[in-house]
Amino acid sequence: MVDVDSFIEEKKDEIAAAVGDGHAIIALSGGVDSSTAAALAYESIGDQLTPVYVDTGLMRKGETDEIRETFDYMDSLRIVEAQDRFLDALEGETDPEEKRHIIGEQFIREFETVAKEVDADYLVQGTIYPDRIESEGTIKSHHNVGGLPDVIDFEGIVEPMRDLYKDEVREVARELDLEEIISERMPFPGPGLAVRIIGEVTEEKLEVAREANHVVEEELEEYEPWQALAAVIGKATGVKGDNRVHGWVVAVRSVESRDGMTARAQEIDWQTLQRIQSRITGENDNVARVLYDVTHKPPATIEYE
Amino acid sequence: MTRIDVVDNHGQFTHLEQRALRDMGVDVELIDNTTPPEDVTADGLVLSGGPDMDDIGRCPDYLDLDVPVFGICLGMQLIAAELGGRVGSGDYGGYADVTVEITDEDDPLVGSLAPETRVWASHADEVKEVPEGFTRTGTSDVCGVEAMSDTDRDLYGVQWHPEVSHTAEGEEVFENFLAICE
Repeated sequence: MVDVDSFIEEKKDEIAAAVGDGHAIIALSGGVDSSTAAALAYESIGDQLTPVYVDTGLMRKGETDEIRETFDYMDSLRIVEAQDRFLDALEGETDPEEKRHIIGEQFIREFETVAKEVDADYLVQGTIYPDRIESEGTIKSHHNVGGLPDVIDFEGIVEPMRDLYKDEVREVARELDLEEIISERMPFPGPGLAVRIIGEVTEEKLEVAREANHVVEEELEEYEPWQALAAVIGKATGVKGDNRVHGWVVAVRSVESRDGMTARAQEIDWQTLQRIQSRITGENDNVARVLYDVTHKPPATIEYE
Repeated sequence: MTRIDVVDNHGQFTHLEQRALRDMGVDVELIDNTTPPEDVTADGLVLSGGPDMDDIGRCPDYLDLDVPVFGICLGMQLIAAELGGRVGSGDYGGYADVTVEITDEDDPLVGSLAPETRVWASHADEVKEVPEGFTRTGTSDVCGVEAMSDTDRDLYGVQWHPEVSHTAEGEEVFENFLAICE
């Protein structure tokens, strides 16, 4: 485990030295990694850093407001409202890799606009060690902003956490006084709720995914999962108030893990599972069924796409 | 200080092998499996897992370097295949939770885990027959050869992943390998 105090001092110096009198930009996703990198860089160079948060419309319930509050102390924070542009770009697409690709491309476009506006010379990224490994392998494409350096000619890229593991990042976040909601926050994928919707992303499925994820996170908090989520996986029949419905099937998943590399499906008591089922089907007219996923990683992955 | 290199066969967990050793305070480096054998100067080698027996680089040559070698998953299978054992697809894929029965409690690598240990696995293929000179040191319901050793040549292998956090006594396996290298 890395020594947190000396790590922070060392990296602050490193960032300041790299950026000099220039201007840096960072994509803030609200996840632990980018939040920690942004806080670290902001402590180091202040408003020479422009943190950019893009609301893709694929965020969890209330997430954008939380970000706004948490990072309120950074005067240079930019929030880009891009919900409609992302949904338009995703229309009709069902292939998982292609969905990731479209989101990545759109993200770059949004980010590029701000980078040019503020005349950024440096890019700060919250890349961590497993990202580098997974991007080299064939598991899945990783970064939102992976293609960014090809579009914008930055003078340099600063990745202060490139040698850290997730659990180490959380230690650093805690030391940086990031609110608990960030340092203990469950990992949330870059492409957001889009990977928790099998097939095409539509406004209707997004709404179901957003509400269901909210219920799952709330109900399973006491189990302290590494990650707990709900995914909209297809349609099936049901009967609601004497009417037959062809509604959405929502899969619930809750896993414990140290680093996300392996994961164990959690044993959740029946009452809790029933409460989740009842809330999701009760609050959403168009949900017919709720399933609980008992598969570990491997053979399954944590997310659905 | 004992130096152990982890040879990367492109497994998902390779970097966790490096981390497990690093966290124990070992001088550890991750090297490509195409590294020429004459450039390998470590006191011991870990052969990582990986997706493809045709992509093991110079790994077979490292078995002749006269340093202890510890093969994990594909790393064990390649030792078996190279030295005259047999590897084939299992009847039953081994994924996630597996209970391994330790069949040789005197084995320097896994003996200390006897009588049984809970591990995390991820494999479709398995070692069907251990090579001459090797002893099977662990077995399970889903896989005949879960571990094997040749203590004369200091070549060892396990079919599961001691480097992942869900394996109960993974660190102990690395401690044992470190002791062998020292």
